[in-house]
Amino acid sequence: MEVLGLLAGGFGTALQPINVGFLMVGVLLGLVIGVLPGLGGTSGVAILLPISVVIARGDIAGANSTTAVILLAGIYWGALFGGVITSILFNIPGEPWSVVLLFDGFPLAKRKGKPGLALTSSFVSSFVGALIATLLFTFLAKEISDRALAFGPPELFGVFVLSFATLIGLGAESPLKSIAMLALGLLLAAVGFDTITGAQRLNFGSIELLAGIGFVPVTIGLFGIGEILASAEEQGIGYMEKISARLGFSDLLEALAALWSRKWLVVSNSVIGFFFGVLPGHGATAASFLGYGLARQYAKNKEDFGKGEISGIMGPQCTADAAGVASLVPMITLGVPGSPTSAVIMAGLFVWGLQPGPLLFIQHQDFVWGLIASIYVGHFLTFLLCLLLVPVLAMIMRVPYAIITPFIVVISIIGSYSLNNSLLDVSITIVFGLIGYWLRKMKYPLAPLVVALVLGDSTERELRKSLIAGAGNPGIFFSSPLSSVIMILAVVLLLYPLAKTIRGRLRPAPASAAERKHAA
Amino acid sequence: MRPYQIGTAAAIVLIAAVAMFDRRDIFRFVVGTAPGDVGASWYPFWAAGIMGLAAVGIAIRAATTPQPTEGAFTGRESVLAVVRLVVPMILYAASFSVLGFYIATGVYMGFFAWYLGRYKVHWILTTALVTPLLIYLAFEVGFKLLLPKSFLYQLIPGFPL
Repeated sequence: MEVLGLLAGGFGTALQPINVGFLMVGVLLGLVIGVLPGLGGTSGVAILLPISVVIARGDIAGANSTTAVILLAGIYWGALFGGVITSILFNIPGEPWSVVLLFDGFPLAKRKGKPGLALTSSFVSSFVGALIATLLFTFLAKEISDRALAFGPPELFGVFVLSFATLIGLGAESPLKSIAMLALGLLLAAVGFDTITGAQRLNFGSIELLAGIGFVPVTIGLFGIGEILASAEEQGIGYMEKISARLGFSDLLEALAALWSRKWLVVSNSVIGFFFGVLPGHGATAASFLGYGLARQYAKNKEDFGKGEISGIMGPQCTADAAGVASLVPMITLGVPGSPTSAVIMAGLFVWGLQPGPLLFIQHQDFVWGLIASIYVGHFLTFLLCLLLVPVLAMIMRVPYAIITPFIVVISIIGSYSLNNSLLDVSITIVFGLIGYWLRKMKYPLAPLVVALVLGDSTERELRKSLIAGAGNPGIFFSSPLSSVIMILAVVLLLYPLAKTIRGRLRPAPASAAERKHAA
Repeated sequence: MRPYQIGTAAAIVLIAAVAMFDRRDIFRFVVGTAPGDVGASWYPFWAAGIMGLAAVGIAIRAATTPQPTEGAFTGRESVLAVVRLVVPMILYAASFSVLGFYIATGVYMGFFAWYLGRYKVHWILTTALVTPLLIYLAFEVGFKLLLPKSFLYQLIPGFPL
């Protein structure tokens, strides 16, 4: 009951005209960003971070840090929905999490001639997935943060290590590459002044580097410039399909009927997507593939998948959106970002002078519950705007490459410069754009780097505070049952890829076709 | 793909080695370190150490396991597509100190409209003028975010610096 009262207060904040206005702006920008193949939700949020600072410090009448976070979150919701439009209509994924819609979304639109049904099925399932995840967020967030209040430095260090371990142990990429990227993020976070002793580290005599390497320019470089370079390389390889982007009321009714007949798939995938998204580093992209796999696994008509089956659209979409919402849960309750995009939003909180974590629920109730209520409002707005604006959004794809590509570079550079008015940040963005482009080609995961860069300082601080409290004895990390469980869990997750490799080697190799023929 | 994977891993090892060398004072006591504290160098030193070890592992795996036969790029055209974007981007950022953000942006947008778009002169000029103007109105007037300017802007009468 207490939660419902707090949520009602949150709606009071979220529904203030200024907040609804900025939410609308955020959602529209997110939809545009989602449609553009060269720009992702993460870089979109990072680019607008300097503007959010202006909003958070109250330069605009009536606006505050809640307005700023609502704007950034709105971009995320818009991008989650917008990415599917180009996947379904043009066979070009606008976002990584909409790649999976190429399997059934495009075939339903093109081969079966039902683009309206494909789009509305995606929007409806996204909306339901997000709604279920937001309900879970509402009722679980306070519970988690209340428990997290009892955390001391060893427990907090354990939570950070656990989040790193999930990135390595449960990541889809090579564990060694995840470790290398994670360590690189920690190393970059250590550049500049040591926060405990004030010693200079890894600045190689540069005064500008004493302030450290900014998270925002690195993220804009990795995700903004890096994506632009990757899509530049692909120019001319793909070709654009032209399918009508009009949606009718009959499409919506048909999609709702399809949703009703798949209600258990959508509900179960949304719940799974939520708990999957809570794990650090497992944002919407991995969840979308998980959702597709689950939908196919439990379908009676497996042979229809890949040919325009609606379950192949609804399954991944609701899972991805649920995971997207859930990635904010550890950020708000524990101060651990669940995805690169939530890492950028968390960096925003730091810049606005807020400390993400359990104390946020006590010290800034308006902020937290305003954000949670805005997720409901934001998804409803996004859903409506998608239904109304699909033809307009599809037209964005027709803006010539020679205009849109340099324009994205320009706004990326504005984003990296204007947070600190630093030309060094612009150089960092370009350098990390090149690095991100290359690392992506070499199949290095970027999420561990970004999460480690954000959490690097806090991890080191909690580690050293624990050791000082324990007089240098590492046994402090096993001094309480909670920290012991967290640390053991982290070790198990770290060893999981190794155990998987050993088990794979011990298992006898399947007989070759020639051997089977010989045996027969 | 093998040489590229090994080369990338080698670059990471080099970065790790430089960072470890910079933080070599981990092995001596530094005045000001609290009892029980590991000191300012411990964390970056071992982060670099772990990164270097992981990169060595990546290189060994790349050298000993089957790798895709194709190279890092699909062809000469894809390399050129990236170079065509990277070189103007670097020149654009480098020109801020001389041209300032707005003039540099006009030149950059106009260049792309001419070089990649092959547009007519009036479209090139429109792109080159409208983009900086819109950015100025949105960021500098609307959000009060100052973007880099150079001495050239003092020559524009009435331009707020």
